[in-house]
Amino acid sequence: MSTTATKTETKAPAVITKRRQPERFALIGVWVVLIVVFVALAPNTFPTPANVSNMLGSQAVLLILALGVIIPLRAGDYDLSIASVLTLSACTTAALNVRFGLPIWVAALAGILSGVIVGVINGFIVTKFNINPFIVTLGMGTVAVGISYPISNSRTITGVDSALNDVMLTKPFMNIPLDFWYGVILCAIVAYMFSKTAFGQRLLFIGQNSEVARLNGVTVPKHRWIALILSGTIAAVAGVVYVGTTSSADPTSGGAFMLPAFAAAFLGSTTLTVGRFNPWGTAIAVYFLVTGITGLQLLGAESYVQDLFYGGALVIAVVLSQVVQSRNAKKLAAR
Amino acid sequence: MNSVATSGNGGRAQSAPAGAARLSVTGLKKAFAGVPALKGVELVIQPGEIHGLLGANGCGKSTLIKILAGFYQADEGEIVVNGENHPVPLGPRGLRDSGVAFVHQDLGLVPGSTVLEHMALDAYGAGAALKSVAWREERARVQELLARFEVHIDPDVMVEVLSPVQRAMVAVVRAVGAQERVSGTRGSLLILDEPTVFLPREEVELLFSLLRRLKSQGDSVLLVSHDLDEVLAVTDRVTVFRDGDLVGSRNTPECTRQDIVEMILGAKDEHVPHPPVRAKDDQTVLLSAEGLTGQRITDLSLELRAGEVVGITGLAGSGFEELPELLYGAHARKAGVIVVDGRQIHKPTPLEMMANRVVLIPSDRKADGAAQELTVVENTALPFFTKYTKGWWIDWADLRKKAVAISEQFNVVPRNTTLPFSSLSGGNQQKALLGKWFDTKPRVMLLNEPTQGVDIGARREIFKLLRAAVADGMTVLCATSDYEQLVELADRVIVLENGRASNELHGADITKDSLAGAVYSQGTQ
Repeated sequence: MSTTATKTETKAPAVITKRRQPERFALIGVWVVLIVVFVALAPNTFPTPANVSNMLGSQAVLLILALGVIIPLRAGDYDLSIASVLTLSACTTAALNVRFGLPIWVAALAGILSGVIVGVINGFIVTKFNINPFIVTLGMGTVAVGISYPISNSRTITGVDSALNDVMLTKPFMNIPLDFWYGVILCAIVAYMFSKTAFGQRLLFIGQNSEVARLNGVTVPKHRWIALILSGTIAAVAGVVYVGTTSSADPTSGGAFMLPAFAAAFLGSTTLTVGRFNPWGTAIAVYFLVTGITGLQLLGAESYVQDLFYGGALVIAVVLSQVVQSRNAKKLAAR
Repeated sequence: MNSVATSGNGGRAQSAPAGAARLSVTGLKKAFAGVPALKGVELVIQPGEIHGLLGANGCGKSTLIKILAGFYQADEGEIVVNGENHPVPLGPRGLRDSGVAFVHQDLGLVPGSTVLEHMALDAYGAGAALKSVAWREERARVQELLARFEVHIDPDVMVEVLSPVQRAMVAVVRAVGAQERVSGTRGSLLILDEPTVFLPREEVELLFSLLRRLKSQGDSVLLVSHDLDEVLAVTDRVTVFRDGDLVGSRNTPECTRQDIVEMILGAKDEHVPHPPVRAKDDQTVLLSAEGLTGQRITDLSLELRAGEVVGITGLAGSGFEELPELLYGAHARKAGVIVVDGRQIHKPTPLEMMANRVVLIPSDRKADGAAQELTVVENTALPFFTKYTKGWWIDWADLRKKAVAISEQFNVVPRNTTLPFSSLSGGNQQKALLGKWFDTKPRVMLLNEPTQGVDIGARREIFKLLRAAVADGMTVLCATSDYEQLVELADRVIVLENGRASNELHGADITKDSLAGAVYSQGTQ
């Protein structure tokens, strides 16, 4: 009965469905074009195993951080503390291991716990006092960086136990560093959570229309709170991965990841499922961005090209998603 | 010309020929997507006159006001202000710069700013961003203005500390003051759109005496209202619209309440066969409330029995529109006990009420009914995500099947359930929402204006579905200002006045006339 019933959809007039949105694949198309161009222009440096492995492995921290940020974004909330939580977690992990001699795994666990705590506080303030998360997480993020200074004694901590480095970077799987695979696994977990769990679906409704969610029995504050705890936790995991890949940490570690993480999240929302934050789109956006930056640098561009690329991508992504949305709205209205 | 060169229209009013009407509208037409909302209406307001504009919902009075304010553009017709012809369509500012001031229901005041700041904003807000504000002169001007209309409010107090009626009075003086400044002359037309809906009854008279002072100083007032008593009390003349047409204009002292009710409703309503009364006193009470108090509703008690349709109606602002959300726990109640199936609900929340199989279909479908950008499947699945989680996964195949089944059973067109919800028309959206909730086998369905923006065909289908469900033992509470709907649907109707039940009609006694009588007769007994 189900299959025959679904077939009756053919009665519907011709309007846009998800399947008829070519822009879903636009980002992937541009990415492919970019790769082809760089392969042609830098045939000796760009398409080498070493470069590909480096591009994939070097972005794991950013990918994990961006996957954390899309969880509250799905519910319509900005978590601006993620980069600072990364810093706090990295400094906590490195300092406990190097300065206080704790085993690296205990230190890493403590680092992750610091992110959980920031997330709990963020969510508590946002939901209990009904304050815009934008400003709460901005303030809490600054607090987190502030705490990172005494923890790290205001300097770069080096000499972290190489066991952490081993499981992140130095022992690759299929010639690609392990941290890349961690990012892929997290991507799959978030994708599962978004589309296959009640929690993920409710976050979507909260982000789209929280009043509708509430009237349908969704406990909106609880869900927003949990989303902020998850983003804090995942940002802290990104901090541990950061320590693993660099074997060091300092109170300025996280700042550079803030904008790229949001750029990837918004650029990712223009692909696959247009107009929704989605993990695979975010991953594609992360690697699209690094492809462009690495390629340009191999062609001799200065390092500031990174800022141009990330900043430009964020603005273009936001404009694109707005254009696509209003165009679809017009198509529907014209029906 | 005047010294304040705010607009090219400044000073027009000065050149008004003697004997010209303040506002004269003739043959004004407006259609929305081919459906006429105004079919050539007429409205004439004299200088120094308080004029009432009346009519049932959808009669076209709001459309007219919105045309005069520049929100909508008229299709054809003539608009003359103080002898000056304003060709239609008017610009986006409507008649605002031509001697007409508007005060809308929400008053347009910001709680955290002072009275003086509001009034200075009008002088300096537009087009002069860098001009410095001469606060001392502004204060003197505002004080003079308030004193002239005998409104004793300190210009430096925050709007948030003012009472509702004081806010309304500030909004009125502000509008008139801004108008005088723009046109450089006294003698404005003030248009008030339902100004008393949110005011406590005992304070309304304060606003009316302000209107009378305006009148005595040569201003005219157009009062748009549902409330017959107010209109009879304060106006000199009334105009009534019905279905986009002019019914007539009369001098208020020459007509009775009954005359006006007949003008509003038109011919006596034809006989509509009423379904037999189903609810008996011996049937179980499914939901009851005692001493319920909310924003407008005060100390209301009611019982909903199995298998009955209870209508709730009243004037706008009487509180009837608040009841479904209050019973559902969607709006916080100030006091009162809600009992479902003999069990008291201590903290009524939507989640708790849903668990007790009480559901709500809110009046604002677009904002509160569904997430418009999400698909039909997703929207119909919303209450069921936990129920349809099999093991670790949401069973999307099952949810899609269900959406398709709802779509077919409730004749939702188009059938394609992967479309965004916004692509359905109002009627089809409502059918999909009804279908979604019917699937939870609710025992009580709370409806708020269930057929607003729903076409006739879908309306019939919705009534049929509701009747069938009620025959199976479901109970419906329907809050609406649509009398026809109550005649067709309700077993009994509770009429609210001022937040309290003032009247109750049963079975065959429910007619458009009896409802209008009960609603409009308020305050006379």
